[in-house]
Amino acid sequence: MDYSQTLLVFVVLAPGAAFAALAFAWLAGWVPSERFVSAVTSTTFTASLAALAFVLRKVVSTGSVTVSFGQWFTVHDYHFPMVLLADRLSLPFLGMTVVLTGLVGEFSATYLHREPGFFRFFLLLHLFAFGSLVAFAAGSFDLLVGGWEIVGITSVLLIAFFDRRTAPVENALRVFAVYRASDIGLLVGVFAMYHWAGTASFAGRSPVLAGSRATIVCLLLLLAAAGKGAQVPFSGWLPRAMEGPTPSSAIFYGAISIHAGAYLMLRVQPILAHSGLASLLTVAIGSATAVFGTISGRASADAKTSLAFASLTQVGVIFAEIGFGLTWIAVIHVLGHAVVRTLQFLRAPSMLHDYHQMHSAMEGELPRTGTRLEDLLPERVHLWLYRWALDRGHLDTILDRFVVDPLLRVSGICAKLDRTGMAAGEVSE
Amino acid sequence: MDGTAILTAVAIGGPWLAAILTIAGRRHVRIVGCGAALVSAVASALLLVAAPPSESLKQTLMLLYSCLTLGATVVLPRRDCRPGMIAGILFLLGATLLAYSTDDLRILLGAWILSTLPFLFKTSFAARAWRPRLALLLSSFALALAVAMIAWQSHEMSIAGLTRRDPGGNVVFGLLVAAVVLRKGICPVHAWVADAAEGGSPIPTALLLNGHFGAMLLVRLIMPLFPNAARNSFPLLSYLALATALYVAVRALAENSPRRLIAYLALSQSACILAGLESRTPEGVTGALVHWVVVSISTVALFSILRLLEVRFGENLTAGTYFGLAEHAPRLAVFFLLFGLALVGLPGTLGFCSQDLLIHGTLASHPLIGLLLPLATAMNAITVFRLFARLFFGKRRTGFTVAADALPRERWILAAGALFAVLGGLLPNMLVSERSAQAAPIAQAVSKEYAVRVRHRPRTGIADKRLLPDCQPSQQR
Repeated sequence: MDYSQTLLVFVVLAPGAAFAALAFAWLAGWVPSERFVSAVTSTTFTASLAALAFVLRKVVSTGSVTVSFGQWFTVHDYHFPMVLLADRLSLPFLGMTVVLTGLVGEFSATYLHREPGFFRFFLLLHLFAFGSLVAFAAGSFDLLVGGWEIVGITSVLLIAFFDRRTAPVENALRVFAVYRASDIGLLVGVFAMYHWAGTASFAGRSPVLAGSRATIVCLLLLLAAAGKGAQVPFSGWLPRAMEGPTPSSAIFYGAISIHAGAYLMLRVQPILAHSGLASLLTVAIGSATAVFGTISGRASADAKTSLAFASLTQVGVIFAEIGFGLTWIAVIHVLGHAVVRTLQFLRAPSMLHDYHQMHSAMEGELPRTGTRLEDLLPERVHLWLYRWALDRGHLDTILDRFVVDPLLRVSGICAKLDRTGMAAGEVSE
Repeated sequence: MDGTAILTAVAIGGPWLAAILTIAGRRHVRIVGCGAALVSAVASALLLVAAPPSESLKQTLMLLYSCLTLGATVVLPRRDCRPGMIAGILFLLGATLLAYSTDDLRILLGAWILSTLPFLFKTSFAARAWRPRLALLLSSFALALAVAMIAWQSHEMSIAGLTRRDPGGNVVFGLLVAAVVLRKGICPVHAWVADAAEGGSPIPTALLLNGHFGAMLLVRLIMPLFPNAARNSFPLLSYLALATALYVAVRALAENSPRRLIAYLALSQSACILAGLESRTPEGVTGALVHWVVVSISTVALFSILRLLEVRFGENLTAGTYFGLAEHAPRLAVFFLLFGLALVGLPGTLGFCSQDLLIHGTLASHPLIGLLLPLATAMNAITVFRLFARLFFGKRRTGFTVAADALPRERWILAAGALFAVLGGLLPNMLVSERSAQAAPIAQAVSKEYAVRVRHRPRTGIADKRLLPDCQPSQQR
């Protein structure tokens, strides 16, 4: 293992090790001070960034750095390859994760000072960084699933961060349900890829598929990517996710988690190029999301939700770019968008203060910004769109009416069936 | 008497002797219970070390069950730590180990019945509802009838001697399947499991469920004895297992009783074990065996944590409202989430490996089942998170006089279980390859290539063994 391989392993494992050490300390009864936790965070991400710079140098000269740990487990002729890969696609995402998570860690040390959940936040931040780095540095789709799921669970736990209120917890449950439902696409898609192409690895021999098989695999992965990237029809969860603390919203829904779906589609791009239908659907979903995001964002009353919808619009455009095969434009778009949106999210709490300051400085005469395109529409359409945007495209209503309510109704019928034959005293509900 | 027999006798006899001592002495019951379970665990571990990997399934199950009992005895709340309770748990341990270890049908039947005894009498662990008692009685009756018919028709009581002989034909096969369905709580006779969890003692009930006698009967009796019938009827059994996993997962969505919810989770995930076993693929069977370990550890831990919460905060816990217990018991909250998510395949835990293998195995053999199993698991994950959120999130309750998090003995035994689940997930190869070696003969027993060779074999007689000696895997060893 040469130095660049060792450093790549370090980059991926460092946040995981920090998480494990802090969690074990807590389990043993020691709650580290805020100063200690933020020092650990700073050190971890600074060291990771330095290590990543060396990996970058190697990737520039050789094209990729691959670290193989052999098979994670083997059964008969099925293998779970444990391969880390830093190539021209994954490296920008790795860099983005290390830099932005480190910055958000620095910001949060002050922002969450004396917050009761300070330690919990940092634990989850490290776990999230580990999950993201595993997902982006994975050399196979199998390993990517592992990182993907960790990102999902940390995201949900941070939405429920303010757990004394019930609304964040209920919203976290909804987000978790959407994640789990869409992740079925990832699990089945990876299996289908393995079954038909003989491999789910993209380090070395990449899977080659064409025709209907390529379409099926791409559509399954698109389902997962759309769920994670809050694309239509899964977009309803994104405004709900804004219940978490602002730094977590910045890193998850401004920067990394929201782009994980785009990364998955970029990874599967060689197969996607062989399926016209899947490409078309990717473009259609992305475009629909962009339109939905921009319209809904205009009717949002709070800063974070507006930013979330703005984020959604851009991610929709990124999906469309991927569908058109504009891979490198999509990568650059992801990087630029993540950096700008993180900054906007982190600035959101002080935005009102800034606004008041500017208002005074301009002696109460702030100029109008931008052109309101919706004003060009007829009044009736304008009103209809406003209602539509206010209810966020009725997406949650549709989900409730056609999925959640019927499922709960069936569950109620099952409960009645189960209670048949029980004596009155034995019925618990 | 060789070393293996002595160790087996120690593993089984130790807990039974300790059970008698507990009832007679009535002092230091936890220490006696832990000591007996530890003796069983050590003896089982020695047996496992001595056994060749491909034939070590029963020793692995013995070790797993002994460790589960040891953990349950340590974590048992003081309120429940009565001589009767400890004696009952030890009695169950002995009976379960006897069932795992025996090669004789009569002893297997005896152990099966003995393991149900504490759950039939209200003075022991019996639930208030009648369905658990009826299901356990009927399953014992079905097995007894099957064993009687085998004895009448084959005059042979050794499992090895009956291998691949289809003793008693389809009637006995049907009776054995009925015993599995009843004992495992497969749809439509699943309701007794939730009743048992709700109306009885949760920790012993968790141990009863995690004996997995139904799956054990399938692996040790049905698949080796009836390969042809098993092969033909496996699609039906797989669909029944799938129906159970899905039905129970949907049922749990509208349930508010925490005990019932955990029972449904256990039931749904246990059904995945059956689906994996019936997939007939090495990945599916290995996944099922790994999942067996995951389900056992996770559900015993979840039931134990719930019981600890009930003892501290009252037995009226419900998933219908927020209790905010995380501030009172943060470590129990973390353990609950960890074990719950391990049960539904959180990456970094052993559950992720087992789910991965199960999905690959079942998709390869029955695509519909492979597609729908992840759906059941997804719904179970939602149930886990909902229960966790309702119990541990929300406004801090001020009415509780006790604010005890996990006590040291509880903390470290739960940490040991969590460490196993996490280390098993991070470094799964050793555990998975061992299960893979155990899975090979199971998958082979009902595989198609085997079937082609067996098709030409007459049904009965010792002469058949001479004609096709290579069709007798157990005799080749």
